[in-house]
Amino acid sequence: MIQEQKFSDEFLNAFIDNQLTPEEKSDAFVAISQDESLNRRVCELRKVRDLVQLACTAPPPPPIHGASERCGLWSRIGFRSIAASILGLGIAIGWVLHTTTPHQIAPTGHQVSALTSPLPAKGIKVLLHLNSGDPERMNELLDEAESLLKFYKKTNQIARVEIITNGGGINLLRADTSPDPARIKRLYRDWNNLAFVACQNTIDRLEREQNINLVLLPEAVVIDSAVAQIMRRQLQGWAYIQV
Amino acid sequence: MKKLLTILMATIFTLSAGAAIAGKYSKQKVIYHVNYKDPKRQSAALRNIQNHINAVGKENLDIRVIMHSGGYTLLTRANKDMAMQQKISNLKDQGVSFNICANTLRGKKIDYKTQMFDVDEKDIVPSGVAEIAHLQDQGFSYIRP
Repeated sequence: MIQEQKFSDEFLNAFIDNQLTPEEKSDAFVAISQDESLNRRVCELRKVRDLVQLACTAPPPPPIHGASERCGLWSRIGFRSIAASILGLGIAIGWVLHTTTPHQIAPTGHQVSALTSPLPAKGIKVLLHLNSGDPERMNELLDEAESLLKFYKKTNQIARVEIITNGGGINLLRADTSPDPARIKRLYRDWNNLAFVACQNTIDRLEREQNINLVLLPEAVVIDSAVAQIMRRQLQGWAYIQV
Repeated sequence: MKKLLTILMATIFTLSAGAAIAGKYSKQKVIYHVNYKDPKRQSAALRNIQNHINAVGKENLDIRVIMHSGGYTLLTRANKDMAMQQKISNLKDQGVSFNICANTLRGKKIDYKTQMFDVDEKDIVPSGVAEIAHLQDQGFSYIRP
């Protein structure tokens, strides 16, 4: 009963519009990161809201930025298609509902599952943490991740790798500062067991302190707090490595 | 004779003090991760390890130093630095393993036999990061000083 009430559309809308208290917001983030269907509902609601705003103000299609990136690739595809076929709100919503069938989500399903299924039956789970904006470290991180994935593939081991960034490290996933977006795109395409994660706290701080309208790469997903995620992951049996 | 007695007394005192302190902790398995080339930070890491052993007791510890990326310079520097060699040998005598990443050796074109201090083939791990992940899976704690 409480569960149902907690995750009403109203609650989720408040979450999307950033109207919750920090505690509620944090709880919601955790719940969403553990529940794929809830994650989709939030994505859906967010898209409806964005479409309503789009229809009301009729600006040119908005750039992809932090808020819309939480749903990752899926939302990116959404925006592109919307931009291409802006035939009216009704049609667009119909299209959105159409694309939210599980079948349509499947191609990017791994990105969601990378954050939601805590304990696969077996396999190695590695969290690579970057909190430095040093481009050399960023490139090293990508090298490490790639050689690690190759190593596990070569040795026939099931593995999942999550690259989590906060502080200066988030520059890796920012469209304007990433040292190698093409490589990230390629890695993301080649390895369905790899996820790129950015910290919401860092995004909020940058937007607040430096007035940056943060644009993330489409491969990135956002999590409430990198530190909280690192702790959750370690409790879930993930290995933690700071690069 | 007096000198000998003093040494004996000192030894007994040190051992008992060590045992008393070590009694506080049960066995620990710990990774020390070194992937940076800052000499000061590397030296500090070696100091941390010695302090760790002093506090917990070598008989309670399984310490693995995993070096990769910039961390390889710990052993190339030691190759030309007697003081560092002594520190590393001391730690090894207390049961600390020093493991270096094969990917890094290949990438930086390092001949471990001639350019590094005291590296045996068995000290080389295929991938530093994979080794760290594996050890954590085996219950090792992770420290990056």
